Amino acid sequence: MRTNKFGIRIAASALALAVSYGANATVTDKDILNDANTPEDVVSYGMGTQGQRFSSLADLNTDNVKFLQPAWAFSFGSEKMRGQETQPMIKDGVMYVSASYSRVYAIDAKTGEELWQYDARLPDGIMPCCDVVNRGVALYDDKVIFGTLDAKLVALNKDTGKPMWIKKVADYQAGYAITAAPLVVKGKVITGVSGGEFGIVGKVEAYDANTGEKVWTRPTVEGHMGYVYKDGKAVENGISGGKAGVTWPGDMWKNGGAATWLGGTYDPETDSLFFGTGNPAPWNSHLRPGDNLFSSSRLAIDPDDGSIKWHFQTTPHDGWDYDGVNELVSFDLKEGGKTVKAAATADRNGFMYVLNRENGDFIRGFPFVDKITWAEGLDPKTGRPIYKEGGRPGNPADMDGKKGEMVLAQPAFLGGKNWMPMAYSQETELFYVPSNEWAMDIWNENVSYKKGAAFLGAGFTIKPANDDYIGVLRAMDPKTGKEVWRYENTAPLWGGVMTTAGNLVFTGTPEGYLKAFDAKTGEELYRFNTGSGVVGTPITWTMDGEQYVSVASGWGGAVPLWGGEVAKVVKHFNQGGAIWTFKLPKDRVASK
Amino acid sequence: MKTIARLFAFMLVFQWAAAQEVSDGDKLLNRPADRTYDVVLESGYLKVGVYENFPPYSYEVNGEPRGLDVELGKRIAEEMGLEFKVHWIVPDENLGDDLRNNVWKGHYLAKQRLADVMLRVPYDKTYAYMQDSTGEYVNEQVVMFGPYQQETWQIAYNPERLESVDTVAVFQYHPIGVEIDTLPDFYLTSGLRGRLRDQVRHFRNVEEAFRAMRDGEVAAVMGMRAEIDHELAKAENREFRLAGNGFPGIGKQVWDVGMAVKQSHRQLGYALEDVVGRLVKSGRLEQLFADLNLRYGVPQYYKEFLSEEALAKAEGKL
Repeated sequence: MRTNKFGIRIAASALALAVSYGANATVTDKDILNDANTPEDVVSYGMGTQGQRFSSLADLNTDNVKFLQPAWAFSFGSEKMRGQETQPMIKDGVMYVSASYSRVYAIDAKTGEELWQYDARLPDGIMPCCDVVNRGVALYDDKVIFGTLDAKLVALNKDTGKPMWIKKVADYQAGYAITAAPLVVKGKVITGVSGGEFGIVGKVEAYDANTGEKVWTRPTVEGHMGYVYKDGKAVENGISGGKAGVTWPGDMWKNGGAATWLGGTYDPETDSLFFGTGNPAPWNSHLRPGDNLFSSSRLAIDPDDGSIKWHFQTTPHDGWDYDGVNELVSFDLKEGGKTVKAAATADRNGFMYVLNRENGDFIRGFPFVDKITWAEGLDPKTGRPIYKEGGRPGNPADMDGKKGEMVLAQPAFLGGKNWMPMAYSQETELFYVPSNEWAMDIWNENVSYKKGAAFLGAGFTIKPANDDYIGVLRAMDPKTGKEVWRYENTAPLWGGVMTTAGNLVFTGTPEGYLKAFDAKTGEELYRFNTGSGVVGTPITWTMDGEQYVSVASGWGGAVPLWGGEVAKVVKHFNQGGAIWTFKLPKDRVASK
Repeated sequence: MKTIARLFAFMLVFQWAAAQEVSDGDKLLNRPADRTYDVVLESGYLKVGVYENFPPYSYEVNGEPRGLDVELGKRIAEEMGLEFKVHWIVPDENLGDDLRNNVWKGHYLAKQRLADVMLRVPYDKTYAYMQDSTGEYVNEQVVMFGPYQQETWQIAYNPERLESVDTVAVFQYHPIGVEIDTLPDFYLTSGLRGRLRDQVRHFRNVEEAFRAMRDGEVAAVMGMRAEIDHELAKAENREFRLAGNGFPGIGKQVWDVGMAVKQSHRQLGYALEDVVGRLVKSGRLEQLFADLNLRYGVPQYYKEFLSEEALAKAEGKL
């Protein structure tokens, strides 16, 4: 079948691995659904489709983590050294990992040797809005599937890295891109879209993982029709929200924003996809009175046809750019002798929400940041924010040629928590939330131009809320809403979190460290500097009886794109592009 | 206010542009050529930055750049004895972004690509000397100079739908089309305490708004005067009329439009300023507008020191 030497070598090693692990050669739906319980591989974004990022492995623990040592490092190469926000995947001794600029690598997980590399051919001069990141791949059957900066889904053969199908999801010229890891559920690749604010409408779409054919599409703004595709024909499947114009004025729903740029999670128990949506367009909230559904919301979506089962809006009528995209993590909430099928999310707006994942009912919500200026709190019944008087940025149309009044808002638009995924430990029953303490000043500019014309613009600047730290890794108790411990970091935290049954919490810092903490106390137990800022998400797995940890290193993402006082903290960080892999040697498992 | 999701993913389309554009950046160091005045003269060409898909100022017809700014760029190049080369600009979120991406730094994904001069840059001292929250000059990397036109707002309407447009208040009752995310959009959506809001229809550009007016979807369109003039000159829009209303509450009723170069390329700026000054004062620029069926407004900059006679000449009245 394969004729080149390279292919034969891969085939041989894959066979050897298959024998030694007794693993399947390909990834099935069952493998994906069972991912959280199979520590010898990582075949879903989130280390399980529920997104808990919890590993049952306990070989590596608080006693021996100090003996964790680098096994190999791999450079992504070229000049594209920035913004490595990826989460690697592991299957049959092979690591599949994406890098910035829409690149994908297959690497021998034992040696760090490259098996193949795929560079998406991006159109010349493509200008994605918010750095060039990619957050990870999906695995299915014999395919490695990922989204590109020019808004395509690409399926590669896992052994050769050659494209098997490429599908355009949205028009990059209209401002769309894909940066999130796709999700595979029941043989379908589920993806959202990133995009600029004006003129775009968010959507969630499903594609047949084998052929790339579109299965359904679900717009995330009220008034737009959803479709299922049968024999290549689009069949209407209901308007999102029932009809247009209920929570939007005029024709503004047509360009309502609500991009689904961070992808989603899947809960097999309720058979629901959970996707978050971005802020509404345009930015000036005074132009669009109403709740502006389904912006800044979490949506539960039927994976079979894309129907919306329920929604929960975290910031109705958003005026601060509080995207609602952050991941909704399913977990069993055990309290009062009952187990509730719950899900939690830590929003940009500074509140953490615990919802009933069967119906979207609000269970409780509480701040996970030190200060929230825009709301007094949440309605205890509905979870709807109680807006604070004067907390909303003013209407630029009200000004009279002078600089508008300044409003201080906290958290800043980059959020109490941004894209970086949190983790939930089934052992401690705590969430580990990577968060940031920062504020923003917003004012209306007295002079502003766009495309050669006078314009009404807003000025803003982001600034740290404290002198000595911005990032805070927090252990949050979903039962009490209390912070159990915190770790403060000088630079903003921008990497994902993972926790293990070894009572450990792992995350990275922009200063370059991979760090491990005691999951119960927050004591820092391990640090290793990877040479560039860590904004990726760590994973762990077991291979040949040894526990491994991997994380991508390479400073970038949205933070360095913004100036203001935060820039002073991060401007000297060097960019990079590498995967670091660590292991606990067998003979150290019993060490203390 | 910005955010990750809202940031504009504007894409440059270079497949076709590559044929017209010169690529003279440093490939090894991945940075643009430092094209000072002497380098520009020696190279024999001038890279003129104009917005893409932006009639009547700059757009493409059958692979050829067209429009007022393109014609102006050609005249400038000609006067300097240089070949005109187009540099297409995809508008970003605001002028500051466009200047960064096209005049002084380059976009981080197209670092070798800069224009020698960018046209259609508003000439406004308040903007040029704007300071950020730490007191730094926001636009210190560029020089904005050489105003060549005064621009303003204009409404066109369908006389079958409206007898006249005396004030914008009629748009409480009649739908009006605007380009999305422009000042007309904001103005009409928020004006009269939002009473016009439900009548505002959003389009990707003025041309699409006119199509909607022909289809009866809107009764009027608001845009920049040159955009409206350009549409009204088309045969299919001949039924439509210019409105004579004012725009109470708009802070910027008129503004001057000029050019920008990198601050270290001032010598090139002086040469360009000379050429443009001659084109304005001789009335040749007015003629250029007239040839394209556009009304010309002499910049305020000139109105402040030109004699009445000189001004009349610039306005094409002599």
